[in-house]
Amino acid sequence: MTRRLLAYFLLDTSGSMHGEPIQALNNGFNGLISMLRSDPQAMDSLHVSVITFDKEVKNIVPLTDLASFQPVEIKCPESGPTHTGQALDMLCDLVKADLVKGSTERKGDWKPLLFVFTDGKPSDLPLYRTAITKIKALDFGMIVGCAAGPKAETSFLKELTNEVVRLDTTDVNTLTTFFKWVSSSIEMGSKSQGTGENMVLPPPPGELIIVV
Amino acid sequence: MKTVTVPSIIDPSRSYKYIDNGSPKQGGVKDVYFSPDKKYVVAFFRTPLDYNQKDRIRRIVTLYLDNIKKGNAADYFLQDIYRWPYDAVERDGKTGVIVPIYDSRFFFRKGYGANDNIKGGEKVGKWFTAPSFRNKQYPLFLDSTELGDWLSYFQIAISICRGVKKMHQMGLAHSDLSYNNVLVDPVTRSANIIDLDGLVVPGLFPPEVIGTADFIAPEVLRTKHLKLSDTGRILPNQRTDLHALAVLIYMYLLRRHPLRGGKIWDLDAEKDELMAMGEKALFIEHSSDKTNRVKTDQLRKWDVIWGNPEKIPYTITGPYLSELFRRAFIDGLHNPMLRPIANEWETALIKTVDLIQPCSNPSCEEKWYVFDNTAKPACPFCGTPHKGPLPVADLYYKFKDDLWKPEGHRLMVYHNQHLFKWHVSRKIIRNESLGAEDKKPVGYFAYHQHKWVLVNQSLDGMKDLVTQQEIPRNAMVELTSGSKILLSDKEGGRLLYITITNQ
Repeated sequence: MTRRLLAYFLLDTSGSMHGEPIQALNNGFNGLISMLRSDPQAMDSLHVSVITFDKEVKNIVPLTDLASFQPVEIKCPESGPTHTGQALDMLCDLVKADLVKGSTERKGDWKPLLFVFTDGKPSDLPLYRTAITKIKALDFGMIVGCAAGPKAETSFLKELTNEVVRLDTTDVNTLTTFFKWVSSSIEMGSKSQGTGENMVLPPPPGELIIVV
Repeated sequence: MKTVTVPSIIDPSRSYKYIDNGSPKQGGVKDVYFSPDKKYVVAFFRTPLDYNQKDRIRRIVTLYLDNIKKGNAADYFLQDIYRWPYDAVERDGKTGVIVPIYDSRFFFRKGYGANDNIKGGEKVGKWFTAPSFRNKQYPLFLDSTELGDWLSYFQIAISICRGVKKMHQMGLAHSDLSYNNVLVDPVTRSANIIDLDGLVVPGLFPPEVIGTADFIAPEVLRTKHLKLSDTGRILPNQRTDLHALAVLIYMYLLRRHPLRGGKIWDLDAEKDELMAMGEKALFIEHSSDKTNRVKTDQLRKWDVIWGNPEKIPYTITGPYLSELFRRAFIDGLHNPMLRPIANEWETALIKTVDLIQPCSNPSCEEKWYVFDNTAKPACPFCGTPHKGPLPVADLYYKFKDDLWKPEGHRLMVYHNQHLFKWHVSRKIIRNESLGAEDKKPVGYFAYHQHKWVLVNQSLDGMKDLVTQQEIPRNAMVELTSGSKILLSDKEGGRLLYITITNQ
């Protein structure tokens, strides 16, 4: 009897992503799904949910197991704000609805994972900050923030999590490398465990800068 | 893209070439580069090794490799069982090992039925131990040409047992045996143990890993919170390998985990996991303690067949393996000294292969099943009953003069089943050291003109002891209930006692 591992992806689709960046994001994200699908362990437990955020927030892929996942095209408007706060708010509702809590009768899910990808900063900062408080109460197993491109600001992501990855560009190569790294962090639990204590993230690939 | 040459650190007169295209294949701790002729790989540890680690690698590629080369069936172990590193190199302060390339049969030819996503990918064991991938309702089930049949997994398990047996004989412990470190091919019925550079020499080099989830022994998890220097801390060793081996065999044959049942030990998933695999570990099919039974209503829809021990209990593996599963998961789960050793598993698997019957349903996915000692045998996988009379041959050995004693070894007869030298004589042991001559069949069983017969191909001294008829080469004898057939009159020669069931 196996537990599920839920992974939530919050992807920035604000106006600034228009053009090459959104292509690169589509490419990278589909590559991630395909990488995960070549890992039998991930196939056995991983469930994925995708939320996109610009001025609107959509759960474009409701929680689904990796095998049933159908590829989607992530689209973005030509311009508009970045409602990161609203996206986190929706995430809280989704997690509350999706997550099977353990009981004495039934095995619950593993602690969920969250990946937030943005190329800018929240346009709805007050909402963003109240949502962070709610997120922290939800007890995620891992939260990774990714700030990509020249205009991305890491400081806001750092309010959400200590694990912030900074990407200088949003081109196809950089995003592919990033998603490869995401894939290996998700797969970490099925690898050999060291004699030390806790599960750690794999070292990021060379071209990324982790902000501490 | 450039070709790099690196000298051996064992013998500087040897050197190796690899192609550096800037993006090596990345394993857990190593970066892997291919040689231009694709005969070997150079696998560099990403972080520099310390003195002990280097010394260990050095011993693995010299001392232990030589040990295998000088031992029995060296080619068999080096080609069919292990991908054993055979030299070490160094470049820019990083240590690399030279490992023979994986055989092409260990890469998916087709992979998923629905797409090419994993075509060309490595056939790590997990693909074949999870029930979903073989369920046709699952969106990404594995193509049926990849799965083999139930007999495939016996040969795979036998190969893994032999690999572990040999390591243990050399005084080594694998320390991280799991489905990630064993490549399998159900089609050609083969298995290769890989990633052998982490081997542990008990007392000399401490293990660097505690293992992989699902395979870590309970005592290792139970003491995981203690400091490495604490005398109570238990790290991987040969006995924990034997836990991992038992779990592997169970999972290959039954496609579920022996300890993952319905019991919740803690509401926190991680604590629960630690207890369920560690101090509270309990066999889901324990004969008396039913605490950890699988809750079948909570199984995922694609796990309902293999995931349900009531439908497919471990006892379908027959008496010899069932006994060992009980020792591994009941008596020895928390008492490592009681766990069956690799050689016992190998023997039990081999004896069980002699109990196997083909399923008469041509569309049965497993195709083979173990005779269940009942008068009305049926395939446990598809439910098809056996049709027609079924001869059972029990092996006896000469105790003294006219006194014959049972070997505790039974051979189930089916049409075109072969008889081998290891059935005929106690002096021939069925193992990896057998020469080609000893692997040739010496006779066969057939259902011929509504009678079961045994045809003698190359045995001298075969005789029907009931009729006192000699059975020369190229002659046959009819099998009836009560038949006593002497297979060889030489020392160690055995006798077959025939019972016909399902009449």
